[in-house]
Amino acid sequence: MIALLRGELVKTLSTRTLLAFLIGGVGFSLLNAVLVAVASGTLRGASQKAEALSTLPILLMVWGLVGAAGEHRHRTAAPAALVARRGRATLLLARLAAYGVTGLGLGTVMTGASLALGLPLLRDQPGPDLDLAQIGTVVAANLAACVLSAIMGAAIGALIRNQIVGVVVLLVLNFAVIPLVAGAQEGLANLTPFGASSILSGMTHDTTLSIAAAGAVLAAWTVIVAGGALTSERRRDLA
Amino acid sequence: MTHRHTQVLVADGLAKRYGRVTAVADMSFTVRSGAVTGFFGPNGAGKTTALKMLVGLARPTAGRAFINGAPVDSMIPDARVIGVYIEPCGAHPGRSGRAHLRTLATLAGLPRARVDEVLTTVGLDEAGRRRVGKYSMGMRQRLGLAVALLGDPQILVLDEPVNGLDPRGIAWLRTLLREQAALGRTVLLSSHVLSEAAQTVDDVVVVDQGRVVHQGALSDLEGRGESLELAYFNLTGGTQS
Repeated sequence: MIALLRGELVKTLSTRTLLAFLIGGVGFSLLNAVLVAVASGTLRGASQKAEALSTLPILLMVWGLVGAAGEHRHRTAAPAALVARRGRATLLLARLAAYGVTGLGLGTVMTGASLALGLPLLRDQPGPDLDLAQIGTVVAANLAACVLSAIMGAAIGALIRNQIVGVVVLLVLNFAVIPLVAGAQEGLANLTPFGASSILSGMTHDTTLSIAAAGAVLAAWTVIVAGGALTSERRRDLA
Repeated sequence: MTHRHTQVLVADGLAKRYGRVTAVADMSFTVRSGAVTGFFGPNGAGKTTALKMLVGLARPTAGRAFINGAPVDSMIPDARVIGVYIEPCGAHPGRSGRAHLRTLATLAGLPRARVDEVLTTVGLDEAGRRRVGKYSMGMRQRLGLAVALLGDPQILVLDEPVNGLDPRGIAWLRTLLREQAALGRTVLLSSHVLSEAAQTVDDVVVVDQGRVVHQGALSDLEGRGESLELAYFNLTGGTQS
C-alpha cells in the first residue's frame, strides 16, 4: 500500500496541474483575506474574523476530481492497474489517499497565506484579536476541509470519469444549487458536502451547524462517496 | 535450448456486448509459450476488445480468460508476469516519459534503475525528460512498449505495436520479440502489417466479426502454399486491391 501511495503521489507531483492549483488557491486565499478583512466593513466577533482566514475547499474538490477523472481521460488508469500488484479498489484507495495528502499540502500553503496576510489586516478591526486557540481551530478546520474535499473530489472523479462534466456539475451545485437551497432551507444546505465544507472553512458561520458537526457531515459524505467509487471500480471496465 | 510449450493465455468463449453492439461474439483461442502469436483481423473485428478482456481490463459479457491457468478476473496483476501495450499509449501529456515510467515502476515495486534500462531499450533515453505531449507517434509507441517491458515480464500482449515505428524501430521490435520467444516467453501481437508480422510470428489467430476464423501455425499456412496475407484475405472474406 505504501508503494501504491508513493506511486500515486509521484503522479500528482509530476505535472504542472498541482502548481496551477497551488497558485490559484493561494491567490484566492489572499484575495479573500483582503476582501473580508478590509473591504467588507466592520467585523465583530471571532467567527466573522475567521472568515478572512478561510480557504476555498471547492478548489480542492476540483483538484481531486480533475486528477482522478484525468486518469481516464489520459488513459493512465489502465497501465497503473496492470502493474499495481493489488486489486483495482486498493489502487483507487491509494489514489484517494494521495489526493488527501496533496490536499493537506495545498491546504497548508493556502492557510499559511491566509494567516500571513489576514492576521495583520484583522488587527485594524475593532474588538479583541483572534487568540491562539481560535487561530488553531481555524487552521485545523480549514485543513480538514481541504483534505476531505480533495478526497471527495477524487472519488467523484473516479465515479464520473469525465473531467468537464464533473467540474461543471460541481461548480453548478456549489455556486448555484446550494445557495438556492440555503435561501429556502439553510439547515438542509448545511447537510450537503458543499454546505458543510463552507462551514468548516469558515466561509459560512453563525448557522445551524457547529464547525465540529460540519466536519462530521463532510467526513460522512466523503466516506459514502469514496465507498461508492471503490465499489464501482471493482465492477467497471478500465479501458 | 528447448522449452516445454504450454498454453499460457486462454480465451474461452469470450464475448463482449456494449448495449446492442456486439464487439466480440464468441472467441476461443490459446497462446503458447516460446512463440510469437499473431492476432489478426479487420478493423472492428474485436481484436482490441478481446485483448482487453484477456488481460483483465474489460469484463467479458460471457466466457472467461485465463493466464497461466488462473482466471484473469481473480488474478492480481503483476508487471513481472504480464506486460501489456494496448493503444493508445496511456500517458499524461504533461508528464515526462521518464516520470510516467517512474510512477508505474513505483506502483509495481520495481527499482528506479529499471526505468533507465527500459528507456535505453526502447531508444528513448534522450527523450525521457521531454513531456509526452511533445512526443511523435513513434515515440509514444516506444513509450508504450517501455511500459510493457518494465517488469521484464514472462508474457507480452501488444496491440498494434508497429504503428508509427520507423523501419529501424520495426526491425528492433522484431528482434526483441523473437528473443523473447527464444527465451521461452509468451508473445501475443496484434497487427495490420501482415508482411512484417509474417517475419515475426510462429502462430496465427485470425478473427472476423467478433469470432475466431482460424488458429494454427504459420508454417501450416506456408506449407499449403499460402502467404499470411493471402490466407488473411481468404479467411476474412476480403480481396486484395
